[in-house]
Amino acid sequence: MKLFSNERPEIPIAHHTKEDGSAWTIKEKLWLGLSVTEYKKQFFRNPVNWFMIMLFAIGIPLILGRYAFGLGWVTHASNDYPWGLFLGFGLFGMVPLSASGFMLGTTVELFGRKDFHSIERLALLNGLLGYFFAVVFLEIDLGMPWRLPYPMFVSLGPAAVLFLVAWHVATYLSVQIAEVLPAFFEWIGWLKGKRIIRRYVLGLTVAGIILSTLHQGALGALFTYAPAKIHPLWISSNFTWIHFFVSSIFGGLSMVIIASTLIKNFMGWRCDDEFKDNLDYVTIGMAKGASLAMITYLVIKLVAVAHDQEWTYLLTGWGSYYMLELGVAVVLPMFMFAFGVRNNWVTLIRVGAFIAAIGIIWNRLNTALVCFNWQMYQEIPHWKEVWITVTIYALYFLTYRFIVYRLPIVYEWKGEK
Amino acid sequence: MQTRKKIMRTALALTTGAILFAPGHLFAMDASDAPETVTIDSLAKYYTPVEFDHLMHVGYASCEECHHHTTGVQVADPNCLRCHANTPEADEVSCVGCHAADRFNDTYLSTLDDPRIYHIDKPGLKGAYHLNCIGCHVIIEGPTGCQDCHAMTEAGEKLFNTGKHAPAGGTSSGAKH
Amino acid sequence: MKKLNRRSFIKGGLATTAAVTVLKEKKSAASGDFDNYPEGMGVIVDLTRCVGCRSCEAACNKEQNLPEPEVPFDDFSVFDYMHHGEKRRTDETAYTIVNRYNPPEIDHPLFRKVQCNHCNEPACLTSCFVNAYTKTPEGAVIYNAKVCVGCRTCMVACPFYIPAFKYSSAFKPQIMKCIFCYDTRLKNGEPPACVEACPQEALTFGRRKDVLKIGKQRIRETPGKYVDHIYGEHEVGGTAWMYLSSVPFDKVGFDTHVPKEPIINSVKEFLAMVPMVLTIWPGLFVGFHLLATRKDKVREMEKEAELKKTKENDEKEEQA
Repeated sequence: MKLFSNERPEIPIAHHTKEDGSAWTIKEKLWLGLSVTEYKKQFFRNPVNWFMIMLFAIGIPLILGRYAFGLGWVTHASNDYPWGLFLGFGLFGMVPLSASGFMLGTTVELFGRKDFHSIERLALLNGLLGYFFAVVFLEIDLGMPWRLPYPMFVSLGPAAVLFLVAWHVATYLSVQIAEVLPAFFEWIGWLKGKRIIRRYVLGLTVAGIILSTLHQGALGALFTYAPAKIHPLWISSNFTWIHFFVSSIFGGLSMVIIASTLIKNFMGWRCDDEFKDNLDYVTIGMAKGASLAMITYLVIKLVAVAHDQEWTYLLTGWGSYYMLELGVAVVLPMFMFAFGVRNNWVTLIRVGAFIAAIGIIWNRLNTALVCFNWQMYQEIPHWKEVWITVTIYALYFLTYRFIVYRLPIVYEWKGEK
Repeated sequence: MQTRKKIMRTALALTTGAILFAPGHLFAMDASDAPETVTIDSLAKYYTPVEFDHLMHVGYASCEECHHHTTGVQVADPNCLRCHANTPEADEVSCVGCHAADRFNDTYLSTLDDPRIYHIDKPGLKGAYHLNCIGCHVIIEGPTGCQDCHAMTEAGEKLFNTGKHAPAGGTSSGAKH
Repeated sequence: MKKLNRRSFIKGGLATTAAVTVLKEKKSAASGDFDNYPEGMGVIVDLTRCVGCRSCEAACNKEQNLPEPEVPFDDFSVFDYMHHGEKRRTDETAYTIVNRYNPPEIDHPLFRKVQCNHCNEPACLTSCFVNAYTKTPEGAVIYNAKVCVGCRTCMVACPFYIPAFKYSSAFKPQIMKCIFCYDTRLKNGEPPACVEACPQEALTFGRRKDVLKIGKQRIRETPGKYVDHIYGEHEVGGTAWMYLSSVPFDKVGFDTHVPKEPIINSVKEFLAMVPMVLTIWPGLFVGFHLLATRKDKVREMEKEAELKKTKENDEKEEQA
């Protein structure tokens, strides 16, 4: 995206001071150093924004309608399928794709792999936004969204898996905010705040691992409450939580590969040389990690089928669907990753990451919707439900873009840090 | 035809019974001891009382089919016979004598775990009526619809949202999902 | 600050331990066990007695102040109602419904009443993260709309598809489900409205252990009348409402594949793992960190030593 003319070499902003030595104000930083007219011009030049406007023109009224007339107005109000797309996609799909924060936080801060430093902040941001928007989706879906803090402070049901999810997602969201804050502090120029956070980075990282292991797993464990409703191939009281956790590892990594690919191609002006030069290297590194997680996942999937004696199910139609899912969503991208890593073929890895990320969502939708009530009818989500889901996802995309445009995520802040 | 056959069969059974088990059945009642009609109204609330034509029903069933062992007539159920082979006529033969209207009251229910009580499964009065009547009506194809025996009252129409209280239609929302 | 010094290590460790302690406390009750109430009440539903008169539906509707039905309660066309190939189910307008089945084994239809089965270890209760459900000593599983968040996990967890959600309401939605007439009757020692309304005594109310005995007595003393099974005696750990049938239960709409143990047992595998992760992970990963960054530190020390050496050499050279 050619955004900035050659006459304005000071843009994009990566420093506290302008060329002439005066300081950028926060407001100027927010407008990317452009005048309002310039900003508008570049905004409407982008066809993506036109698409967004059309999406929101219908999506926002639908969301307002959901709060005015109830869930029954935008969904099929199904008692048999209590969870639809908002949770099936928004919570169960978004959260594994946001495991990137803890994955790369661990790699860089805990294992000391400094060579992945250039992607760390993007991974952290990807994690933070994914979780935040999972909560946004939850706020759409909850019957009484204004009671979100109830499980924390009002009425506690500590024996429930969802209690663990709620606490861990809330805590982890705070951890991730803390992890992304240094970039924000650099940008606004409050270095004391950055130093404070830096001091606790190891604690935050370890907390991230614990919380992630548990709540990624817990999302899977939620489905073990319905052992008789979900097709046996997709549920196992012993292994589902491990499946969810392990698949979140390659899900999160794939999502970072996707985000970095989009940023590199459409936001090249924002990336600094360190990010651009290192990207192929870190992409290959992440693909290596992802393919290892995938083979682990496949093995545990197999173990689950063997442990629960479900071989005969594999011969049914559901079994074919199960193998199709594993084949397209895991085995195919796994080979693409492996082949890409071996031959330094980064484009193949990037395509593989797209497939793997969609595969994760497919798996979560299978567990939550398709194979749920497998002996009953199939619920097809209401069009309004689909539209709202896409709208919220677009909002996620816009927020993502807004932050990457500004904060030092894919570039190094040139001013004081 | 069926009716006559049934009467004949019952009479035959009674006679045979009387002959075979004469000593224990000296005081057995017979149909002539019964009232011609019984007004069943103790539970009437949603339905009108039932004018029960006892005399007519005597033609369809023998005493013990409805009154069990209480009339002194030998019961047929082998399970009952284990205790009631020689039970004489009871003081009370009406349904309500044994079958309580408030069969599920807590005091009664709390006595049920006494292991000496055999009749833990004795229906309440309403159950006794309906199980007995409908049970037989189904077999001999007598009337089985609710209002075949008792018409619905105003209170009943209110309870069932029918008649005068029928729903206007399409009022309930969110149902059937 | 990339370097891990002693102080930051201890700090990090402390923060994690604190987090663990806080979280552990929250999870200590995670076993999902709670007392069974031996004196709890129950109902045995005898399918061979039910004539499908829908009196229970009507009585429930009035007792619980539910919305006016779409069709009168003496309209039997509802038995033919199908939605997505399924017979009627409980929803926000009905806590109980009766469905008709025509099993090929017998020449007359059977009717099955559906309502909350009031499990001994209810899945709705154990899955609820705001404690909105309570199993009362009287045997009822009741619901508190005041704390419910509307996440609908209970609906996912219920193996009998009982809880329904008031989807039609934007500002006061809640779970709608049979509560055994707890507020108005059960806690005063009275039977629920449906039981009282049943003309056939197809619903027999009493202590759960007593009605179970009654059910067994009926099976034993009327050989051939019933299948030798009481649905709900062991299903999902036992339910307060149980069923007797003359045909196999799967022929009259029952899910015979529900586990024989409480639903929470299939979640326990995960719950048991939680404290392990909470206690082992911090030490394990801080250890990993120390191991992984050891090389860097050695390298740094070497560098420092080298610097010193070159400095010394420089000094020596200067002196020379």
